[in-house]
Amino acid sequence: MHRLSVLLRNKPGALARVVVLFSTRDVAVESLSLSPAGADGLSRLDVQVRLREGRSVDQLVHQLRRVVDLCEVSAA
Amino acid sequence: MNGALALIKALEAVGCETVFGIPGGAILPAYDPLFDSAKIRHVLTRHEQGAGHAASGYAQATGRVGVCMATSGPGATNLVTPLADAYLDSVPVVAITGQVARPVIGTDAFQEADIRSITLPITKHSYQVTDPDDIPRVIAEAFALAASGRPGPVLVDLPKDVLAAPAGWTEPEPPVVVRPRLDPAQVRQAADLLARAERPVFYVGGGVVRAGAADLLRELAERTGVPVVTTLMARGAFPDSHPQHLGMPGMHGTVAAVAAMQKSDLLIALGARFDDRVTGSLARFAPEALVVHADIDPAEISKNRRADVPLIGDCRDVLRALKASVTTGGDLDPWWKYLDGLRTTFPLGYDWPEDGSLAPQYVISRIGELVGPEAIYTSGVGQHQMWAAQFVRYERPGSFINSGGLGTMGFAVPAAMGAVCGAPDRQVWAIDGDGCFQMTNQELATCALEGLPIKVAVINNGNLGMVRQWQNLFYGSRYSHTSLGSTPDFALLAEAMGCVGLRCSSRAGVDDVVREAMAVRDRPVVIDFVVGADAQVWPMVAAGTGNDEIMTARGLRPLCDSDTGEDL
Ligand SMILES: Cc1ncc(C[n+]2csc(CCOP(=O)(O)OP(=O)(O)O)c2C)c(N)n1
Ligand SMILES: [Mg+2]
Repeated sequence: MHRLSVLLRNKPGALARVVVLFSTRDVAVESLSLSPAGADGLSRLDVQVRLREGRSVDQLVHQLRRVVDLCEVSAA
Repeated sequence: MNGALALIKALEAVGCETVFGIPGGAILPAYDPLFDSAKIRHVLTRHEQGAGHAASGYAQATGRVGVCMATSGPGATNLVTPLADAYLDSVPVVAITGQVARPVIGTDAFQEADIRSITLPITKHSYQVTDPDDIPRVIAEAFALAASGRPGPVLVDLPKDVLAAPAGWTEPEPPVVVRPRLDPAQVRQAADLLARAERPVFYVGGGVVRAGAADLLRELAERTGVPVVTTLMARGAFPDSHPQHLGMPGMHGTVAAVAAMQKSDLLIALGARFDDRVTGSLARFAPEALVVHADIDPAEISKNRRADVPLIGDCRDVLRALKASVTTGGDLDPWWKYLDGLRTTFPLGYDWPEDGSLAPQYVISRIGELVGPEAIYTSGVGQHQMWAAQFVRYERPGSFINSGGLGTMGFAVPAAMGAVCGAPDRQVWAIDGDGCFQMTNQELATCALEGLPIKVAVINNGNLGMVRQWQNLFYGSRYSHTSLGSTPDFALLAEAMGCVGLRCSSRAGVDDVVREAMAVRDRPVVIDFVVGADAQVWPMVAAGTGNDEIMTARGLRPLCDSDTGEDL
């Protein structure tokens, strides 16, 4: 299980892109919560995910960074 | 000014010269000012899929962003395949789609399809514009995104009322694009590995073509003497005539290229992504190799094969940095001796069919020789594609445009149409299969009307040949639904669409018919090459097996059976 902390711009489709990425890459989402983060039109997304065996969370982080409206992502 | 005019002005401002598309209800406002544009040529395709692949062919022939346009609903969904295709092959394409008006979005309105959601996993980014004032900025951003970093498709969805609404015009600023900076320590590490390697290989992928780095690749290769292999997406990135070139690796690669990777102690991957069609069984792939992986997309590093040294950057920057850092390499003579032995023993070849029919490989090699390396070649997907990759000799980067990642049947004709729009001074030849041709040949009508004189060589084996080959090898020759029969008459079909239709079924006729086609300048030409049905693509690494098990013909496994490699 991995915890991802994601900072997203509040743009239409930003959340969908992240969620679809999980589905595309066969990442199982265990929990997900979205909340406003500060005043600058940003949202904080906290997700717990489970990866397929042999897949690394670093790779998922890099794939998430390709999302244009994603500002930050870190994994724990 | 309204949103539609802002769109056309914005497209002009970013340098768009050609748009491939089909109008319809939701995109109609945009077509009105497009009618008056002196800078943009609109090519009315016969299917939106054709528009999308044409945009990709245009982009790959010019190195610029290709643009396609469609209406909402079915127009937009017809773009799904080309977008997926451009996504997997990293082609800079901007798709502009009409959408139903804002007030009715989400009500299952007429011709409403949520194209943004549909294309989420196959676009680099997408926009739905809700404020007409945003149009110039969005178009500028979309173009910059499509072309920068790892290129890819970007969708811009425009509701009809946004196009029709009054819009302000602000000159779009070209967005700032940051180019990743190479880590000098990693460059040094890579150069050190290269200096010490005994069996190095440059594994060259499409990224080298996208980055325009072929000249630098050649300089580095010549400086180091390292063997080069070029993937399906990189054919032409290194000249086929170059003595250091071993050809294409992978499922239908040359024995020398496959063995070079397999026996290597250092793979230097340049803009390549360790695709399963290249690696075969990953567990058995290049067991002794250290890997230097250069790619502009950090998400590719260590995705399939762990990289010992990652180099994150544009291939031009990578090659320049490596060139500046490498000293002379080690002694590669034993390595070259081994590889030269394989090249001589297992050159690409083919047998003539026993039934006296025409060998498809012969047709394709003659086209390559007569038409020459200055032309652009496109292909569909199947056996003819692999033969086009094997038997045409490419000397220029980007001169072979095909659907590598998605394997989209029907790519050849519309991609050729797009390529010739972008490169009108070059001959453009589509090497197509009879199955593929029947998916998108209607774009020949577009080509005839628009004066786009592409040549199409239909390699007509009467079958979905590649599937038939698998049925022959892996399904006990049970040819379930792979025969296409003998209709239509492709030459007549071509004539019906305003093209010249030719046919050839004998070895003696091949050169003449190719020359006849080359002499036609004012119309597209289709040559129906009637070839044998039983020719197969060799060599072959069967899906899921290791590259060591490469077969040069059914049951012949030179890398397993002989001990050529043992003394290395
Ligand atoms: C759109 C699409 N549908 C199905 C396939 C599966 N497929 C791969 S190659 C092939 C046969 C292609 O036949 P043809 O164009 O005649 O080429 P050939 O292999 O005979 O040279 C098929 C059906 C595909 N790649 N793309
Ligand atoms: Mg066929």
